[in-house]
Amino acid sequence: MGDVHEVPRPRIATAHLAQNIGKPVCFVGRVEKIHPTGKFFVLSDGEGKHTTVELSEPLDEEISGVIEVVGRVTHQATIMCMSYVQFREDKSPFDLELYNEALKIIHEFRDYFPFG
Amino acid sequence: RSQNIVPCTVSQLLAAEQVDETFRIHDVEISQVTIMGIIRHAEKAPTNILYKVDDMTAAPMDVRQWVDTDEAGGENVVVPPGTYVEVAGHLRSFQNKKSLVAFKIMPLENMNEFTTHILEIVNAHMILRKNLMSASRVPQSFSSTGIGDMGDYGRGSSLPVNGLSVHQSQVLNLIKNCPVPEGMSLQELKLQLHNMSMSTIKQAVEFLSSEGHIYSTVDDDHYKSTDAE
Repeated sequence: MGDVHEVPRPRIATAHLAQNIGKPVCFVGRVEKIHPTGKFFVLSDGEGKHTTVELSEPLDEEISGVIEVVGRVTHQATIMCMSYVQFREDKSPFDLELYNEALKIIHEFRDYFPFG
Repeated sequence: RSQNIVPCTVSQLLAAEQVDETFRIHDVEISQVTIMGIIRHAEKAPTNILYKVDDMTAAPMDVRQWVDTDEAGGENVVVPPGTYVEVAGHLRSFQNKKSLVAFKIMPLENMNEFTTHILEIVNAHMILRKNLMSASRVPQSFSSTGIGDMGDYGRGSSLPVNGLSVHQSQVLNLIKNCPVPEGMSLQELKLQLHNMSMSTIKQAVEFLSSEGHIYSTVDDDHYKSTDAE
């Protein structure tokens, strides 16, 4: 499958999953729920839409708050997670709605924010 | 000589064209840049720390930070992988591989700064390209498209181009491109820059003149650029 961290990973929201099937992406969202097995969890994006993130190995820690996932979009329009990172919110909460607006800008002005 | 510090994506840095010792993005010379990304790897050597910083737009970029070897114990603590940072540094290329030499690496304490950085990149590169086009042979009427006055960017870590605000740049570009011997008049400037008030134009002209970019010719209403084009 290749190391997905060595290639461009467009930042997307839930609405863009369908156009990115099979491709490496970067998704930022808030944890809504974690499956009891720890093998998948649900994130909501800045528009409140939900995306399911699958893991090859179950989670070995509690996750909460805003998570940035790097992975590949599956044919079921879920994300197969290769790595994730929790955004720090100890000093200030992360404005996910504003991030979503920024995504719209970078998608509209791809020339000035190229992925790859 | 470019003295700006331009926020960029790693992909833009990788695509920058190199001519001799200078780099150009959208035909504008860049040297000092800022990127924001997550540290994927950190390696400490006696004289430097080598990081790999990933902003998702391409493969992680090599960022080298030189360590002050006179400092016992050093102020240079290695920032751990998994940390989001802002890097300010100079773009370098060696054997066709691009890297950054950092003069500042700062962990982000507020991730909203990352969102701001994304927007600053789009804004900065859009302005760079617009400034380039308005400096072409035909002076264009430059309407303020709401990009806003870059002059009061508090952090000091991004544009304006050449240290000028958007208004000042627009006025300077028009004056530079004026072919007549007595230069461009304030009235001409007002005609071309519909969205700028006369007082804003006068302020810009005063600033540009005091900085030596323009000089008055037949009277205080006519100006030429000091830059031979």
